[in-house]
Formats: sequence, structure tokens, C-alpha cells
Amino acid sequence: MNNILCNFIQIFRKKKISLLNGIWFLDPPKDVSLDGYRIDNVIQYTDLVITIYFSIVVLLMLYFILKYRNRPGHKAVYEKGESKKHIGFTLCMGMLVFLSIDVVIESMSFRDLKEAFWNFPKGDNIVKVEVMPQQYAWNFRYAGADGLFDTEDDLIPAQNQMHIPVNTPVVIQIAPLDVIHSFYIPNFRVKVDATPGMVNTMWFQATETGEFEIACAELCGNSHYRMKGILTVESQEDYHNWLNTLEEEGPEDEWDDEDDGVPSRWGWAWKESE
Amino acid sequence: MSNSHEQSFWSKYIFSLDHKTIGKQFLWLGIFFLLFGGFQAMLIRWSLSNNMEPLPWWLLGDFLYQSSPVGAGIIGPDAYNQLFTMHGTIMIFWAITPILIGAFGNFCIPLQIGAPDMVFPKLNMISFWTMFLASVVLLFSYLLPEGTAAGGWTSYPPLSTPVGGIPGQGQTLWTLSLTLAGTSTLMGAINYITTIVRLRAPGMGYFKMPLTTWGLFLTSILNALFVPIIAAGLIILLLDNVAGTQFLVAGSKATIPGGDPLLYQHVFWIFGHPEVYILILPAWGIVSDLLSVFSRKPAFGYKVTAICMCTITALSGIVWGHHMYTTGMSPLLGKTFMFLTLLISIPSSIFFLNWLGTLWKGALKFDVPMLFAMSVMWVFGLGGLTGLYNATITSDIYLHDTYFVVGHFHYTMAASVLFGGFAAIYFWFPKMFGRDLDPTMGKIHFWGSFIPLNLVFFNMMVMGYAGHHRRIFDPSEFEFLKPVLGLNDFMTTSAFILGAVQVLFAFNFVWSLVKGKLAERNPWGAATLEWTVDYPIPHGNFSATPQVVNGPHEYSHPSLKDKDWLAQSEPIPS
Repeated sequence: MNNILCNFIQIFRKKKISLLNGIWFLDPPKDVSLDGYRIDNVIQYTDLVITIYFSIVVLLMLYFILKYRNRPGHKAVYEKGESKKHIGFTLCMGMLVFLSIDVVIESMSFRDLKEAFWNFPKGDNIVKVEVMPQQYAWNFRYAGADGLFDTEDDLIPAQNQMHIPVNTPVVIQIAPLDVIHSFYIPNFRVKVDATPGMVNTMWFQATETGEFEIACAELCGNSHYRMKGILTVESQEDYHNWLNTLEEEGPEDEWDDEDDGVPSRWGWAWKESE
Repeated sequence: MSNSHEQSFWSKYIFSLDHKTIGKQFLWLGIFFLLFGGFQAMLIRWSLSNNMEPLPWWLLGDFLYQSSPVGAGIIGPDAYNQLFTMHGTIMIFWAITPILIGAFGNFCIPLQIGAPDMVFPKLNMISFWTMFLASVVLLFSYLLPEGTAAGGWTSYPPLSTPVGGIPGQGQTLWTLSLTLAGTSTLMGAINYITTIVRLRAPGMGYFKMPLTTWGLFLTSILNALFVPIIAAGLIILLLDNVAGTQFLVAGSKATIPGGDPLLYQHVFWIFGHPEVYILILPAWGIVSDLLSVFSRKPAFGYKVTAICMCTITALSGIVWGHHMYTTGMSPLLGKTFMFLTLLISIPSSIFFLNWLGTLWKGALKFDVPMLFAMSVMWVFGLGGLTGLYNATITSDIYLHDTYFVVGHFHYTMAASVLFGGFAAIYFWFPKMFGRDLDPTMGKIHFWGSFIPLNLVFFNMMVMGYAGHHRRIFDPSEFEFLKPVLGLNDFMTTSAFILGAVQVLFAFNFVWSLVKGKLAERNPWGAATLEWTVDYPIPHGNFSATPQVVNGPHEYSHPSLKDKDWLAQSEPIPS
């Protein structure tokens, strides 16, 4: 049984499947990430199976409405549905639904979490970025020449500007200044909350260059709707050039005043996962 | 309990101890807030598709938002945030809860179990007047110059605390009124549970209770268990707002000491997820009973349905974490919550199949309550199945906090529960008010609700799938949302039709109250005990305590000759 299931799930590995393209009136934004297809696959599999089940239910209802409508000469059958046969049938159908949808999407999801979303990249070729959202902007911080965060040579681009190289794993650590925000890049299918008092981590990898929008997904106040960042995905070379220009310009100085309890410098030492 | 004693106007209609009158009071309160919250939904839709345009006259544009900072009669971003916050709060706690639990819980439970009244009539009265006080406090926040609460119906801190940067007085009143409403719910829950345990008529075993009573019973258990938890959360939020404490406020970095905003999320969802079932369990019970009445055959697998509802009740208390997958939850915890959540689909599909089984081989009569009951099968089918996306961690990473979630919970909480509530109103109106609701207007109301509602809520899910995140005042700010802007206009038109048809319902309600056809004792040929008494039902309900001999769904029994139903207190003819 387990084997059959594994083979079945094997179908959905590695590549994007298109089971039901066009059943929705609108498609999600173009996926430009390494692992976004996994999320699309789970969604599309669920689409397919629930469409089948829901269609069966609706067809049965229509059939019953026609066949068993009250009319002269037609009588209801006194059937309590409490015989072993009936209860057995409903239990089996319940289990069938569970095995065909829940168990499959759960396996797919656990596999994807293990292989991708919770499998943080290791090694040197990783771009690390610290993100601090505030009402209503995104602040980004790069480690600078020493490779360490929360030091003097950290690079801070202009607000709402995030640059990453293509085909390189990017790990972000995120903690907000004020209220809860949520870092959401639709084209990458990823989202992580920024909650005061804790640092959250997430990783993703771009497969195409271009400019993509970063949105705040958690209500954060009146201008929540226009809290927008731009994620620029560029070649390694362009990315390094951009870092160099940041170094020449020096860090943005808007954090120097101590008004309103804003710290003179934000950032934290990179938190290594266990 | 004396049956017919003289009562003054005040003790009969205002501070009544009679469960039927208190039920009607809850119904009026619920319908008022249903229209009020529904009107806010219209304003939200207007703002979404006609951003920064003045409201038209038919949305009261000459009276509302006259002092708006962005121009007279225009909804600005702050007003928009207040609108959806209050829409959610009012619809859940002031419309659905009073109608399904307050009104039908009060009206149905004692009558269906053959009891003279609730076991604590005074507590019942205090429960309603606490709710009334809560409503006054809530409505008072509309008089504040800065406006009402604006932190979403979830009111996550720190946004909902003074450090959040939104006006605080509205939030304080919101918290206070919700605490009062919770107190009212808790009093009702204790009363319902005790009544069902202690006051069932002789012969009325638990497995002879109508499924409506089963649903209300389980709902009350959930309320009694989980309302105190949200009350604790609300009180610490209130303290943070007015007493300068920092339970739920933390600094920007993990190094700065303080409270923990996540604490509130846990407390909120420990209550918040059962709340979904608190709302829908009575609707499930009502639909199960009504399908049986209008199919003229016993509810298929009655005991199995009741046991499935108990199972879901138990599971609902241990799945709250699926609202918090993106908060940085530990992987083990996330996987556990996902597994537990998916388990719910087993009992849900079993009792859904039982609903289909009830229709099977029946003699279906399509009266208005039946139309609404069957439409619950449609909307709950869609709502339940789309829950799978949100229960799965990976798809939820993408869909969390998008319109997909909004569409999903509007299908389950708004559509299923509201249609269950409408089915109940059309079904019990003759017993409550002695007259029938006009069936022609009822059918127009049904089709005028069912079709536009699906056009609105299904497209919400489509928009969410296209990436549209929630609580966005102006979606045109984002490039990736450009494709959905056209759909927004279509949904708004559908929503206005949906709203207009509810005005017809309100008209029908009032008109039938005065001019409706006088109802027979048992117009639907239903078997449960409330249909064995004549309108007006006296204080004390039954002239003699009924002796229950049958289950709640004895329809089309083979030994019946001149009618096809058998009241629960009527022996089977030999």
C-alpha cells in the first residue's frame, strides 16, 4: 500500500504538473522560484480531487431531486440507514475520501517541507539578508565585507529595495520594528510573518531575473495596502556591482536620530539554526 | 410552573423569563445586526471597486463619511479598515451567534426536549440583557470622533494596543463589548447544557433528541470550554490598552524584553477555531433535521451523524495551530496540527454522506426551508473541501492571508451558517409568530441569495489563488493584482444584488408578522415535540409533560395510514 502511494506521489516530483490548467479564471502570478512548483502541485492535485468529489455530490443531488421529488403516487421509503451495511458503506466512503485527498496531500506536503521549505541550504554560496519591516516600509540589511551582521560595515540599501542574485539560495531573517507584518512574494509562493520579539527565518531561490513585488500580508495599519517592496533578481555580476555601489555610498542615515524610540542602528547577530 | 398567569407589559415582553420571548428578542437583535453588518459589506464592496469615489445616494452617501479627510462621502483607508473590522465582528458575534444560538437555542431546546422552560430562566434573561449592553457599547464606538476599532476582527496585538498607531478608544470599546458578549454567551451555554442534561422529558434519551438540539448542545459545550479562554485574552488586551501593562507588546528584536504578541494569537485561535464549529454545529443539526422532514423519511444514520458531530467537536479544540503556520511555528508542531486538522475530514465526509442518504429514496418537498437546507449542502460542501488547502502547510504558505481564506471562511461561516439560519427562520416562524412567512417572497429570497452569494464568495477564492492578499484598501497599488481588478467589479455587482434581496427578506419578515397566513399547528408535518403544541405556546409550554416514545424522525412509517408522520410522543399504531 505504502509503495503504491509512493509511486503515485512520484508523479508529482521535480516538475510542474498541469492537471487542471484553466479551470480557474485566473492563474497565480508567474512562478520564478526553485520550489514554488511544489506548492502549485499540491494546490492543483487538491483542485482535481475536490472537483471530482464535489461534482459527484452535485450530480447525486440533481439525480435525487429529479427522481425522488414529491409527486402523486410517489412515497418515501422508511429507511433509517442504521444497518451494518449502511454504516459500513459510509465509514468506507469517509476513509476513501481521507486516503485519496488528505493522506496524499499530507505526504506531498511533508515531503516538500523536508526536501525544500524546511531544508535550509548550507555552505558558503548563500545570500543572507536581514529584513526589518516597519509601518509601512521594508528595511533590508546585508552583512558587508566581514560577513557578519550587526557590525559597522553592514550594508543598508534604500528602503523597499531588495536585490538578490539569480540561482543562489537566499536566507532571510526577519523581525519587525513595530507591529506584525508578513513578508509575502507572490511570484515565489512564500510568506513568513514578522512578529515583534522573535526572529523568523525563511529561504528561497530565484530561477529568473526581473523585478518582483513584495507585499505585506498581515494587516499592519492604515497604509497596509501600500506597503510594497521591490525584489530585484539579477545576475551574480550585477548583484555584486550593486553591493559595491552600496559600499561606496555608505549606509542610509535615517536611523541616526533617537526620536520615537527608534534605535540608532537595527540589526542583530545572525541566528544560526540548530 | 404556572401556565397562564397575568403579566405586565414589562415582564411579558421586555424582562421576560420565558425562553420563547427571549429567543425572539435574540432574533430581533440578530436580524438588526445582520442588516447592519451586511450594509457594511456593501460599503466595503463599493470601496473595493470604486476606490476613492463618493458613495451613491443608495448607500446613504449624503449622510455617511461627511467629515472624511479624503473628501465628503468618500471611504478612506482608515475608514475602510474600520469597516472590515466591524463587519467581521458584527456578523460573527452579533448576527450569527444571536440568531442561531441565542434565538433558536432558546426557542428550540426546551420545546424539543419537552421541558417547561430553561432550567435557569433568570440567567437566561440576564444573558440577553448582557448581550444588549454589549451591543450598546459596540454601537457607541461609532460615535467616537476617531471611529471604531480598526485592527481586523482578529485584532492582533501590537496593532491593537497603543503602540500600534491606530486610534485606541474604538479598540478599547471593541474589547469591552466583546468581553460582555462573551459573558452573555457563557451564561447561555451553561443554561443550555444544564437544561439538556436535567430537563429532558421522560423517555427522551440522548439518542432520541432532534439533531438540532444535538448541535446546540455540542455548541454550548464548546462555548463553555473556550469562551473563558478568549475572555482571558481580551482582558489582557484591555489591560494593555488602558492600564499600561505589556502582556502582548514586545520590542523589535528578540533581545528587547517585554510581552509576547504570539500569546494572543494562540489564545485567540484556541477559541477561534472552535468558534467556527460553535457557529456551524447548530446549522448542521438544523439541516440534518430539515432534510429529514422535507424528504419525509428518517434522517439517514441518525446516531452516526450525532457521533460524527461529537467527534468533530472534540477535534475542533486541538487544531487551532493551522491558523498560525506562517508564524514560524516549530516543524513538529506544524505537522501535528496539520495531521489533526486533516482528521476532521473523516467525520465530516461521513455525516455529509448521511445527508445524501437522507435524500435518497425520499419524497422531496421543495418548500423554502428545504431549499435553504439543500443549499447548505452545496455551500458547506465547497467550504469544507476548500479547507483542505488551508490545512496543508505548503499550500497554506501561499494562500494564508489571501482572499482564498476569506472566500473559504465566507463559505463555511457566512454562507453555510446564514443559510442554515434562514432555513431555521422559515421553518420555525409559524411556531414562533403564529403566521407563515410568504413562500413566494421566500423563493425569490432563496434564489436571489444563492446565486449572487456564490458569485461573490467563489470569486474571492479565485482572487486569492491569483495572489490577492487580504485587507487591501486599494488593490491597484500592486502590479500582480492588475488581472483581478475586473473581477472585483463583477463581485461588487453580485454583492449589491445579494444585499438588495436581503431587504426583501426583512420586508417579508415584517409583512408576514402582520399580514401572513395564519399557521396551522404543524404546517410541515414534523415529528419533533415543538409541533405538538398550539400557538401561542403558553409560559410553561406543555399542558402535560410529554412521554417520549419515538425517535425524532418518524416519517413514512409503514404502519401509518392517514398521515405520514408520528410525533415523538405518539405511540406507533399496531
